[in-house]
Amino acid sequence: MSPFAARLLAALGPDVVRTDPEDLRVFGFDAFTENTLPDAALIPRDAREVAIAVRIAAECGAPIVPRGAGTGLCGGAVPARGGLVISFVRMNRILELDVRNRRARVQPGLINLELSKAVAGYGVFYAPDPSSQKISTIGGNVGTNAGGPHCLSYGTTTNHVLGVSYVDGEGEVRRTSVDDPGYDLTGVLVGSEGTLGVVTEIDVRLLRLPEAVRVCVAAFGDVESASEAVSAIIGAGIVPTALEIMDATITHAVEAHYHAGYPHDAGAVLLVEIAGMPDDVAAGEAAISAIARQHGALSWRAARDAAERDALWAARKGAAGAIGRIAPNYYIQDACVPRTRLPDVMHAIDAISREYRLPVGNVFHAGDGNLHPLLMYDRRIPRDVDAVHDAGIAILRTCIEMGGTISGEHGIGFEKRETLGLVFSPDDLAAMGRVRNVFDRRGTFNPDKIFPTGAICGEVTAATALSA
Amino acid sequence: MIAKRRGTGGLADREPARLAEPSDAREAAALLRAAADAGDAVVVQGGGTLQAAANLPTRYDLALATRRLDAVHAYDPRDLTIGAGAGMTLDALARTLAEHDQFIPFDAPLVARATIGGTLAAGWAGPRRATYGRPRDLVIGASAALVDGTVASSGGMVVKNVTGYDLGKLYVGSHGTLGALVRVNLKVLTAPAARRLALAPFEPEVRERVVAHAYGRAVEPVAALLIDAALAPRHLADGDGRPLLVALFEGSEALVDRALREFRSALGAAGVAETRVLDDRIAAEAFQTIVDGYLASRERSVTLLARGLPSEASARAELARSIAPEGSTIDTIADLATGDVIARLSWRPHHEAALPAAVAALRGALGRAHRIAGDPQAWAVIDAWGETPAALATMLALKAQFDPRSTLAPGRFFDGR
Repeated sequence: MSPFAARLLAALGPDVVRTDPEDLRVFGFDAFTENTLPDAALIPRDAREVAIAVRIAAECGAPIVPRGAGTGLCGGAVPARGGLVISFVRMNRILELDVRNRRARVQPGLINLELSKAVAGYGVFYAPDPSSQKISTIGGNVGTNAGGPHCLSYGTTTNHVLGVSYVDGEGEVRRTSVDDPGYDLTGVLVGSEGTLGVVTEIDVRLLRLPEAVRVCVAAFGDVESASEAVSAIIGAGIVPTALEIMDATITHAVEAHYHAGYPHDAGAVLLVEIAGMPDDVAAGEAAISAIARQHGALSWRAARDAAERDALWAARKGAAGAIGRIAPNYYIQDACVPRTRLPDVMHAIDAISREYRLPVGNVFHAGDGNLHPLLMYDRRIPRDVDAVHDAGIAILRTCIEMGGTISGEHGIGFEKRETLGLVFSPDDLAAMGRVRNVFDRRGTFNPDKIFPTGAICGEVTAATALSA
Repeated sequence: MIAKRRGTGGLADREPARLAEPSDAREAAALLRAAADAGDAVVVQGGGTLQAAANLPTRYDLALATRRLDAVHAYDPRDLTIGAGAGMTLDALARTLAEHDQFIPFDAPLVARATIGGTLAAGWAGPRRATYGRPRDLVIGASAALVDGTVASSGGMVVKNVTGYDLGKLYVGSHGTLGALVRVNLKVLTAPAARRLALAPFEPEVRERVVAHAYGRAVEPVAALLIDAALAPRHLADGDGRPLLVALFEGSEALVDRALREFRSALGAAGVAETRVLDDRIAAEAFQTIVDGYLASRERSVTLLARGLPSEASARAELARSIAPEGSTIDTIADLATGDVIARLSWRPHHEAALPAAVAALRGALGRAHRIAGDPQAWAVIDAWGETPAALATMLALKAQFDPRSTLAPGRFFDGR
């Protein structure tokens, strides 16, 4: 046991602090492939315990990695330098619900879907709905500014967080609110991937459930024509609640597993959700289906009832998991382009897939221009592993050339840190580094994440402290 | 580049020695760097509409006006995004977007002068935000000129982005104390097919019933305000001194028709018989006039804006009105959708001495309240910020990192920093 772990254990006890390597194993990885054990894991019951642990970690120069459910795809929750992982499984409650003012105060370990389920009876819901929402936590979602299909009309996590409490680098609990005068620190903390502090409470905005919801499926000959339809729908100024595309590879895998009713013979399917007042929903469907047909839709079908609608969504949100049926391993990329560039980027991804001889599946938030090409490979074949890496970079470069960026909703984490310099200049990164230095002058929080090696002064400090 | 004109860029009685109007981001950054090196104090000037929302500068050598940073950098209407210079006025932005039936609901007062950058830096968030989000929610990318001579960007031109820190948020509410916003990228929205503004004067006795029925129905207005007669635009009020309920409806024709039908019948049940309805362009203009009224300043008045819970807005406004001390009056706007309360304190001549106590009492009634407008005579005696936020220490540390020599707006921030 490291001296740091021993101090923590002495301060907070074995129920809150875990140091047994067997116990620590589950905190060594997330949905990315890295695997590094922490020195200790904290399973706090409240912010006070977090604050105590942060103070001890700061004194010992140990890094801290806050962890939601570990569904992140970029290694953001991997304790790259060991140290302390903080798991919020015990801090998973709704602390306050104010239906009249449409807000709730929740703990970071609350599972995303549990919030919407708990408040649905009051006619409200929490809008951000990442595909992982059955297991991912609101705290984790705050860390990555998580998205999801319904962000198209409702916006991402940052648009739904009204304030947070967080433990800063000195072990002080602080509170922010978007209603506070002065700098919008709430907005800076959301999406900072655990590098600025440990969030211990979140004030979220709730929206009213729409009166009517309709989910429709259109079949297309290929993913390019489906993308053209989406660009045209957005271009016509129509923004429904979701516009999702799955190509033939994904649709087949999903249908084999879920039998949700997606067309079997389509080159691509477009999933459309329209919500609002019944008259508006009907008018929206008419307008969107007309554009879809102009762009080659082969069929158009609306789900008959809530059960069918839920089945279509369950299959869509389970798409990544269903790929296990057709490839031993897959690598899911996340990038975003302006919506007019969707058809171009789909052509380019197809070309990259052929160039690197890797089958690709596409399942993505088309309406937002947020791509998720899945590169399928076999981890046991070295050529494949190299090709996946290179193809992934090629896709990111293509998106940047088209005016896009390298992460729409998964974050940078460990995985993409060295590519951040493709998007931002040293001056841009220096400004971000200043913010990092203020919130975390010792470089305690989630080092080795987001920023390229050497780009942020704080990281150097932390490395020195650890090696000393 | 640097015009040695006087009479521009002034804040109350403070006049800068020089005015600079950079034409691009690099030039703005170079000016800031030079000012920092020379030990000069700089105030960034947008349209000057919300300058009362921060304290007077303690030093003021150079006004850095963003007026010429007004270009559209990127706008393909089919992407539903736009990138524009921070100095572009909201009016010019609205006209550019309107050509393509698009809009950005900033809801800021005085749009012919107010700029994109200034509106964000002032932390403005208007009455339609419960429906469309705050201005900060529409920002997808931002570039700022910093005192070290660099231009730092974050975000981009896409609507979903988790690539590095979202520094656009940092400048929101910064009042030019961290850097000068030079370019902002925004999400744009499709203009609603129909827009109606309902105006209903009501008797003060039925206020609670009006509140209960005006907001929270199946189809909600995008804005709902209770306006005291003195703050209602003259051509919209009926002139008999009654307060006015204003509700703005936007959406499809079907939605707006239904909403108005339900709204009228609910108001009828609450004892409000007459509802005047304005359509489309007239409705939009009237709504803008109402928002302009937030800053309707006159001699011997100061206007505070307090955020809070929507359910408490009306009661807080009433409480504020009731505590007007001898020799003064308080008029309010209660925003039922957002919880904002706007309170204008006006005093009679020779009652100036009571002003600090009156403002303190008003702040006590409203909760944290920010000054947004007022007689320049009152600027020196009334702090713009009120109670300091819980995260002030972090804000001041950020200020020290971004502006180590206090080049930017010294004295404008909390506690005269």
